[in-house]
Amino acid sequence: MDPSEVEFLAEKEMVKIIPNFSLDKIYLIGGDLGPFNPGLSVGVPLWLALNLKQRQKCRIVPPEWMDVEKLEEIRELERREDTFTPVPSPYYMELTKLLLNHASDNIPKADEIRTLVKDIWDTRIAKLRLSADSFINQQEAHAKLDNLTLMEINTTRTFLLDSLNCMYKLRSNLMPGASKGKSSMDF
Amino acid sequence: MFVTDIRKEFYDVVANQRVALLVSSDIDALCACKILQALFHCDQIQYTLVPVTGWQDLGTAFLEHKEQFRFFVLINCGANVDLLETLLPDEDSIFFICDTHRPVDVVNVYNDNQIKLLIKQDDDLGVPSYDDIFRDEDEEGDDSGHESDESTEPSGKRRRFEDGAVERRIERQRAKREWEARRREILFDYEQYEYHGTSAAMVIFELAWVLTKDTKDMLWWAIIGLADQWVHDKITNMKYVTDIATLQRHVSRHNHRNEDEENSLSIDCMRISFEYDLRLTLYQHWSLYESIYNSSYTSCNFKLWSLTGQKKLQEFLADMGLPLKQVRQKFNSMDMSIKENLRDVIEESSNKFGMKDIRIQTFGVHFGFKNRFLASDVVHAATALLENTEKDEGAGDNFIKALDCLSRSNLERLHLGINMAKKKLMAIQQTLASCICTNLIVSQGPFLYCYLMEGTPDVKLFSKPMALTLLSKYLLTAFVRSTRNKRCRLLPLIMAAPLDVEKGTVIILGIPPESETSDKKNFFGRAFEKAAESTSSRTLHDHFDTSVIELKMEDRTKFLDALITLLS
Repeated sequence: MDPSEVEFLAEKEMVKIIPNFSLDKIYLIGGDLGPFNPGLSVGVPLWLALNLKQRQKCRIVPPEWMDVEKLEEIRELERREDTFTPVPSPYYMELTKLLLNHASDNIPKADEIRTLVKDIWDTRIAKLRLSADSFINQQEAHAKLDNLTLMEINTTRTFLLDSLNCMYKLRSNLMPGASKGKSSMDF
Repeated sequence: MFVTDIRKEFYDVVANQRVALLVSSDIDALCACKILQALFHCDQIQYTLVPVTGWQDLGTAFLEHKEQFRFFVLINCGANVDLLETLLPDEDSIFFICDTHRPVDVVNVYNDNQIKLLIKQDDDLGVPSYDDIFRDEDEEGDDSGHESDESTEPSGKRRRFEDGAVERRIERQRAKREWEARRREILFDYEQYEYHGTSAAMVIFELAWVLTKDTKDMLWWAIIGLADQWVHDKITNMKYVTDIATLQRHVSRHNHRNEDEENSLSIDCMRISFEYDLRLTLYQHWSLYESIYNSSYTSCNFKLWSLTGQKKLQEFLADMGLPLKQVRQKFNSMDMSIKENLRDVIEESSNKFGMKDIRIQTFGVHFGFKNRFLASDVVHAATALLENTEKDEGAGDNFIKALDCLSRSNLERLHLGINMAKKKLMAIQQTLASCICTNLIVSQGPFLYCYLMEGTPDVKLFSKPMALTLLSKYLLTAFVRSTRNKRCRLLPLIMAAPLDVEKGTVIILGIPPESETSDKKNFFGRAFEKAAESTSSRTLHDHFDTSVIELKMEDRTKFLDALITLLS
């Protein structure tokens, strides 16, 4: 998948906004939204929130996990554990990027949040690399990783699958005719 | 007619319609256009943007678009001429004019259907009252009707009536002649002097504020519009200070929102601050020495075209204790210890050297870690991009490039513009030095006159009106400082430069005399028209500023002679 496709999927996440206009309930294919009343918060998908923000029709409320202390805790936890810890949201990276690019004036301490989320991301990607490395070295047939988000998987997917394919071809050519255990790739 | 409620009478009217935006080529208009574009994007109003450089361009653009559009918005063009007669529109075309050119043509003021002026009425307009200029023609008809009735009466009575009627008729004709003479006088006084009013960008920003859709970006553009009026010397000092105070209120309102929470904003957010900064052009993007050398204020006060002047500059730098090596390197690389108190140090020393106003009130913007700009920096950069003569691109391309450099996302274009502005300022300084040293400015009696020869270096730069205006103003200031003739100091200046060598045209520009309390009113518009008529010279009064015209080179002498006779 393309990273932009993953971002597109992330835009379906709900965020809270405070509109400055009023509109009755709207009925969209994906669900009902509204009604919108000025000053009252309402939950909308991220794509609509960003569009309204750019047209200066609303104020975006940052999600609860987008807070300096909470993110610091998550970062510490991530650094301590060897496996992946639960993430605040399955699309935390995309949400951070989109909200900080378009609505950074509604998010307090935006710079620190950006640094903290980047730290969490770096730690998790490092763990992913280590785990892929050990998987290949020990020529295991099966691996199970919890709590990975789609964006993280997407960074290694093409490379890992292609390289495993190549290694399989090389190994099977070493022993012509003998089928030496199929390495199944279950993630 | 003047629009009183800009929201109801302008914005709500065009809200669901398609609009044609005709924008003149100056920075104030560009800023107003940017703000209006942002508003249109928010509310998804469809518009077509057409840059226009003069009356002919405006006419062509109107003809092209009059079938498809009913609403036209004109920015910085169209107020000072009878628009309906120039464009001959259909009955249902409506024009919204946001223009700084004054005086506003009386037909535009008193037309209620098609022309709506987005101009603040407390702008000191002095429009003559309706009865003084317009008058119904019905009274003539009454008179003759009255007389024909009388003809059926018997002769004796008729003669008495006729005598009375004839007397009344003579009375009425005399009154009419008097009224017409007074009308001509009033109109002449009203239209004699040309000047500028409140910045168009500020008017459109007020519209955004009324709609509560104003953002810091729009406020910054309004500030740039006002700075453009100051850099190109279009408004008086009093008006500039008043407008700065108005904008300062908006700036503090926006900044108050920042400091509200104890959590500060991201560094990438735009911060606008009021600065009482130095009058040295582009000094933060150049070296201090270059900036002092090429700014008109310091250059004219020190007389930097002469050797004594340059020695004085060295003294000035020594007086402040700034080592030459520091002063000649890029401002950003100067020692922090020097940069900290720079403004106060320079102000103190300049007071000693007779420059009392080295500091001027202005605004600066700051976003990201590296990007700090003053309003006048952006004005110079955008002007340089707009009047780019280096490549042979159309005026439309330059317009779009200059428009782009105003957005925050196009910083490379802004830096490119700053570099071009530096070259332009250096060219102006050199031309100025050579003009003063070779005494190219001659007094023709009622005015001073200077002609740039074709072989002068960088003369192509000065074929554009704004660059030529800057040069003329600096030249006049420098001349006033350097001449010994007291009478010459009060004279206005006419500047001529070659426009197109193949077609043999020159561009002529007139500016009012230099004085401390100048009201910046320019009478050359009318003077040029009359002189061109009387000598039947081949002129083109195409620019929206009537004091800038194009003329055939061969007609130059007789045109000037006519001007001299007209003005003495």
